[in-house]
Amino acid sequence: MELGPITRALLRNKLGVILIALQIAFTMTVIVNAVYIISDRAANMARPSGLDEANTFHISSIGYGNSFNESVVVDEDLNMIRQLPGVIDAMVTNQIPVSGSGSSSGYSLEPGRRDMLVPAAIYRVDDHFLEAMDLSLVAGVPFTPQQIVRRTPTDERQPTETILSQAMAESLYPDDWRQALNQNIYGPDGSALRVVGIVDRLQAPWPTFTYVENSMLTPEITLDNSTTYLVRTEPGYRDELMVEVEERLAAAPHQRILRNNQSLEYTRTESYRIDSLMTTILKVVIGTLMFITAMGIVGLAVFSINRRRKQIGTRRALGATRFSILRYFMTENLIISAAGVTLGAIMTVGFNMFLVQTFNMPRIDWFYAPIGMLALLLLGQLAVIGPARSAAGITPALATRSV
Amino acid sequence: MLKMTGINKVFRTDTVQTHALRDFSLHVEEGEFVTITGPSGCGKTTFLNLAGLLETYTSGQYLLDGEDVSSLSDAQRARLRNQKIGFIFQSFNLMPDLNLFDNVDVPLRYRGVSAKVRKERIENALAAVGLANRQRHLPSQLSGGQQQRVAIARALVGEPRFLLADEPTGNLDSNTAEGVMELLEQINQQGTTIIMVTHDPSLAARSHRNVHILDGQIKSDDRNSKARAA
Repeated sequence: MELGPITRALLRNKLGVILIALQIAFTMTVIVNAVYIISDRAANMARPSGLDEANTFHISSIGYGNSFNESVVVDEDLNMIRQLPGVIDAMVTNQIPVSGSGSSSGYSLEPGRRDMLVPAAIYRVDDHFLEAMDLSLVAGVPFTPQQIVRRTPTDERQPTETILSQAMAESLYPDDWRQALNQNIYGPDGSALRVVGIVDRLQAPWPTFTYVENSMLTPEITLDNSTTYLVRTEPGYRDELMVEVEERLAAAPHQRILRNNQSLEYTRTESYRIDSLMTTILKVVIGTLMFITAMGIVGLAVFSINRRRKQIGTRRALGATRFSILRYFMTENLIISAAGVTLGAIMTVGFNMFLVQTFNMPRIDWFYAPIGMLALLLLGQLAVIGPARSAAGITPALATRSV
Repeated sequence: MLKMTGINKVFRTDTVQTHALRDFSLHVEEGEFVTITGPSGCGKTTFLNLAGLLETYTSGQYLLDGEDVSSLSDAQRARLRNQKIGFIFQSFNLMPDLNLFDNVDVPLRYRGVSAKVRKERIENALAAVGLANRQRHLPSQLSGGQQQRVAIARALVGEPRFLLADEPTGNLDSNTAEGVMELLEQINQQGTTIIMVTHDPSLAARSHRNVHILDGQIKSDDRNSKARAA
């Protein structure tokens, strides 16, 4: 290795070296942070909602006119849907996971303690929720048909039971979430709900919600003429049942509008569209920056080699093998890249601190910087290998030529 | 030491075929100081390139120290150049970004010599050419004569069996050229075989033997009675 002479020679031609090192540092800063943002978004997008998303769809029914009796219509509709071949179960709910729209509230262990309220999404469901949502009850019991409260928005009757997601139970009882079972929890108005069950997972409808894993189910059907049915099917039946259910609901003699007939997969895709778009844009930025940096390295190497053709010929005459020349330029690039990625590591952490403080983004994991350094070093070596091979092919006879 | 027999070197393009050397035979004994003269384009540099294993020949036989070099791989030829041949070029061919120490170090780096031994050898080589106190200077900080001395130190540092010099005084004024020539004569007197290409008849006259090339063939091969005794 010729680290000493190569480094000293590079220090005598600083400008090009500094520019490429800065480009590498800048590229690393952007790429590492972008990759971290992408992986963070990807992890968010990959979080399970708790439902059997691949085999679930939902459809909304909005009634109108004086003759529309929602309580009757809901029973008719659910009865019809549940009897269709391929349907595992169907339920009525006020909101859909990952849809981006729904209601939430806060609950605490003591009445009147607004300072202790833990936020959670509130799913108002019927007694078929366990099968229809494919939830796993890890403690307690499900709702019974008798517990389901049918109420209008002005009706003061309230459900008295609730089932929590395990994350919500952990928020209330950090030491042992099982302690939540059979306890009363209190809403902002002091109303109490007794915890009769805990399900392993149920996400709130808002993917960016800080407490996205905190959810509660209450046994109630709100009669406000707007109903959302959630239908879970056997694998392979979803798409045809989406059509059939909509047709049958439309054929029923009720004054209503049907809308938002969507698979849960589609709902998820729509909900995360911004994240997907940002991920795509960041991937393009990463690819473009890596290409530009690689071209910069190639350009500097080609310029450097063309400027030193006679020197390379002389080195060959003095005993350098082709491999020695190849190694020389690979080493030279390694030194430049090492300087770039070292600066890049500092800039990466600095830029991440800026993002954390300014945009409340997550702090980068420690291993991203070293992986980024290795990736940029590898990029440099791959970029320079072509020019270096060309340099290694220079004939030693060039040493005796006058040009 | 160096024995070429019936060497031919042909450069070919799609349309042109040029015979740079034709049936070229030369035998140089150990310790000789041979000058190669001839007009431009006669084949002097081609001979030097073949002798120094910088190029391959088209046909014939070349024995270097008794070893047939025709079948050597590129890496083997590089190793042989590094171990047995020292080169001195007309334009010195120093690395402008390296100081004198690093310039002289170049051939030793390719030989895998330890840092301690390299340092000792480089210091001795620079001292031998009178530049011991300029080790950290860059070539651009030296005169042409000093630069050629550095190139000679670089050629000598590996203790080669023979030196190939391509018009080593061609870019120097007469006084400086005289100093370089005296240095080469000293080196030869210490036992190193030298083959030197030159245009200067006065320098050719100082060698043991002058080979004159014309149109790729040896026109004359004269031993100089007036040459300074080895």
